Amino acid sequence: MSVAFPQRRLPYLLLLPQLVITFVFFLWPAEQAIEQAFYQEDAFGLSREFVGLENFYALWDNPQYFTSIQVTMVFSFSVALLGMGLALWFAVMADRVIRGKLAYQTLLIWPYAVTPALAGVLWWILFDPSMGPVALWLKTIGVDWNHFLNGDQAMILVVISATWKQISYNFLFFLAGLQAIPRSLIEAAAIDGAGPFKRFWTIVFPLLSPTSFFLLVVNLVYAFFDTFGVIDATTQGGPGVSTATMVYKVFNDGFIGLDLGGSAAQSVVLMLLVGAMTVVQFKYIERKVQY
Amino acid sequence: MSDVVLKNLGKTYPNGYQAIPGVDLTIEEGEFIVLVGPSGCGKSTLLRMVAGLESITQGELSIKGSRVNEKEPAERDIAMVFQNYALYPHMTVAVNMAYGLKNRGVPKDEIATKVNGVATMLGLNELLERKPKQLSGGQRQRVAMGRAMVRDPKVFLFDEPLSNLDAKLRVQMRVEIRELQRKLGTTTLYVTHDQVEAMTLADRLVVLNKGKAEQIGSPMALYEKPATTFVATFIGSPAMNLVPAHAGHGELCLAPALRLFNPYEYEGSVLLGIRPEHIQLCSEAEADLSMHVRAVESLGAETLIHGILVADEQHQTPIVVRLAGIHYPEIGGRLWLQLPNQHWHLFDQTSQQRVN
Amino acid sequence: MIENRPWLTLVSHLSLLFGIALVALPVWVALVASTHPTEAFGSGQIPLWFGDQLSENWGQVLFSSAGNGIDVPVWLMMLNSLIMALGITIGKIAISIISAYAIVFFRFPLRGLAFWVIFITLMLPVEVRIVPTYEVVANLELLNSYSGLVLPLIASATATFLFRQCFMTVPGELVEAARIDGAGPIRFFFDILLPLSRTNIAALFVIMFIYGWNQYLWPLIVTTDDAYYTLVMSIKRMLSVEQGDVQWNQVMVTTLLAMLPPVAVVVGMQKLFVKGLVDAEK
Repeated sequence: MSVAFPQRRLPYLLLLPQLVITFVFFLWPAEQAIEQAFYQEDAFGLSREFVGLENFYALWDNPQYFTSIQVTMVFSFSVALLGMGLALWFAVMADRVIRGKLAYQTLLIWPYAVTPALAGVLWWILFDPSMGPVALWLKTIGVDWNHFLNGDQAMILVVISATWKQISYNFLFFLAGLQAIPRSLIEAAAIDGAGPFKRFWTIVFPLLSPTSFFLLVVNLVYAFFDTFGVIDATTQGGPGVSTATMVYKVFNDGFIGLDLGGSAAQSVVLMLLVGAMTVVQFKYIERKVQY
Repeated sequence: MSDVVLKNLGKTYPNGYQAIPGVDLTIEEGEFIVLVGPSGCGKSTLLRMVAGLESITQGELSIKGSRVNEKEPAERDIAMVFQNYALYPHMTVAVNMAYGLKNRGVPKDEIATKVNGVATMLGLNELLERKPKQLSGGQRQRVAMGRAMVRDPKVFLFDEPLSNLDAKLRVQMRVEIRELQRKLGTTTLYVTHDQVEAMTLADRLVVLNKGKAEQIGSPMALYEKPATTFVATFIGSPAMNLVPAHAGHGELCLAPALRLFNPYEYEGSVLLGIRPEHIQLCSEAEADLSMHVRAVESLGAETLIHGILVADEQHQTPIVVRLAGIHYPEIGGRLWLQLPNQHWHLFDQTSQQRVN
Repeated sequence: MIENRPWLTLVSHLSLLFGIALVALPVWVALVASTHPTEAFGSGQIPLWFGDQLSENWGQVLFSSAGNGIDVPVWLMMLNSLIMALGITIGKIAISIISAYAIVFFRFPLRGLAFWVIFITLMLPVEVRIVPTYEVVANLELLNSYSGLVLPLIASATATFLFRQCFMTVPGELVEAARIDGAGPIRFFFDILLPLSRTNIAALFVIMFIYGWNQYLWPLIVTTDDAYYTLVMSIKRMLSVEQGDVQWNQVMVTTLLAMLPPVAVVVGMQKLFVKGLVDAEK
């Protein structure tokens, strides 16, 4: 906006609270993390020594770190793709129905309000090896389910829990995306003789691609950072390290393992990652603005 | 006593762009001044400088004899009507009108009296409790004017107030604004890009071009004696025809074979200006020149004939003729024209200034 | 509908019903589990139909103690969660709305820098800077306090951006009209900008309330005193007792109670919620 008030000091006053909070709780800790990443602390936290890039080299040489990257990738892409696939299906169906649209929407979106940690607990009891109805049913069809022992099964459990909560979000955005497609395009395609399936794949799906891309980024960010609770409440990274994502490892190494330097180095890597994702997200927004 | 005085008023933006190089204007009390010009000519900027919404970087602005350059808009005792009306969307019409008075600490009952008085004058009584989005464009326009009038300011400022209305409403509101202004006698500065609006409203017109006042004067003075080609083509519709020519030895030479008697004393390259309504049809023998007809616009009351001047093959000078009543010239045919020299406007080709 | 294909409509309805069942399944089981005595979980499958302990379990957890090693009742943790959620929500909205106001309606040196400083917080989610933030809060002696729970979470670039977007759609003429009407920046903010942003504030409130209520990791590490436990993080504490000793019925009651307020907000204020969600991602 080109119009502005002429006051000179007032804007600083207005910005002050947010800037103070940002400095104290964001920039200072971030600076500490970056600084810490270049130091090694002794076991009692009494002295520390500058080690340069040592902590990063250690990460690079640590096979467990690579495992956590792998775990993060498997986890994040599974959550993103499974969640988006299901949500797209439900959204397309909801876009078709005329009666009860709002009721369906309500009944599908409420899990958004459930925090990942609670989602994890809810699915845990369904899959609990000794009493969970789903786990026991799986046993009857020959699957020996025990996510406390089997790493793959633990991964499946956290993926299901994390996805369950996120379907609602994807559903809303896909539905909005579908409703934004001009009716006339669909009608034109119908007049051109395309049936409902052909129309979906040749008209609707391509037009949803901006929404899909946007959701992919958002879902990856969600799976990277917001799902700490799912893992912490259900598997705590286990069994072994089979569900220890990068974020979980930062917490675990820092708070439980007390390897502050290593944890800080991991934080720095994650900051770079979020930075890159934020840039991608903003590039997307810029493009959206041009439309 | 003169009411508003602009003394070499200018504006240069911090990035060095000079929007207004300097305008001198003295507005008498009760005068209706219209600032007119194409978009980007600086007319809105100038108005907003008077309002106090844009800073003044040069010269002096005084209202009722005192310098107001540094004063806040609210302290200048002006009221403004905006292009998009700028009504507060969450307030009723009554509250919209009362807001400025309330901020000035005017007592409640006095506000109510004033609001009711203005509402009656503008026929807004029925609408006082409505929100702006429940009003039509014309009603919003009226509320915006009411909001300005209720404060009883020294100066009214209008920033293209009619440009968002449909053509019919625009004509009606134009008449109404003029009538109200006469009745209230408040000094008014009005910005528009529409020359018809400008001509019909103004006591005096200021034609702005690139931030400079090209000419200041009454509408008829500007129509009859435009000082520059810019004013000549801007005032009047369709625009004045301009034909390149050479003046000298009592002749005006449009082409080697086309010489007209020239009563004006000037020598050099000129542009011959003649308004479409001053060109007459005639027989070949009486003709000053002729045109090829390209297109005909019949409006019933008048007919506009667009064509190309004959005798000027390489320049393809376009020409428009405006005739009263209904005519059916043949497209592609030739028409013979007379250009009465009492209606000539001669401009120097390089300076673009009037020379006769 | 472009054409009438009854079977496709049927498939649509069935798919949606399946989806609803899928998302509701775990909550159903939790609800059932919360009505059984502790012994029902000792061996074998969780019962699939309601038991008779509904009022006992819910009453006990809500009013006497949450069980599983937590001595305070759920209502207290609910209160803590509410204080934290409202603190975060109101704090975020308050500081974001005034900083967005400064950025949009004023021109001042370092305006761009301020914008970038706020922007950069997008890249620093609490999960990433968890260890040093903990140290900062510990140094400020804010562990086990409401300020410690709330303050580190209230700087929000998202909310500032949302208000910035919203303010940028306010026509400049409105500001000018207000100036001519004698309204300074403070008066303009309260008389015109706030009323105009009502819906945006409400939508953001819904989203931020859910965000605040659902905080997990941060409360987990800054509170060691039961009196400051929030409901969501208490689940973790309840589950960390010896594996065999988890009282699932009580855990389920607590879980359901922890979900209830934000779910109620989403369902009850669906329109605002959807608006908030969509706005926040613009």
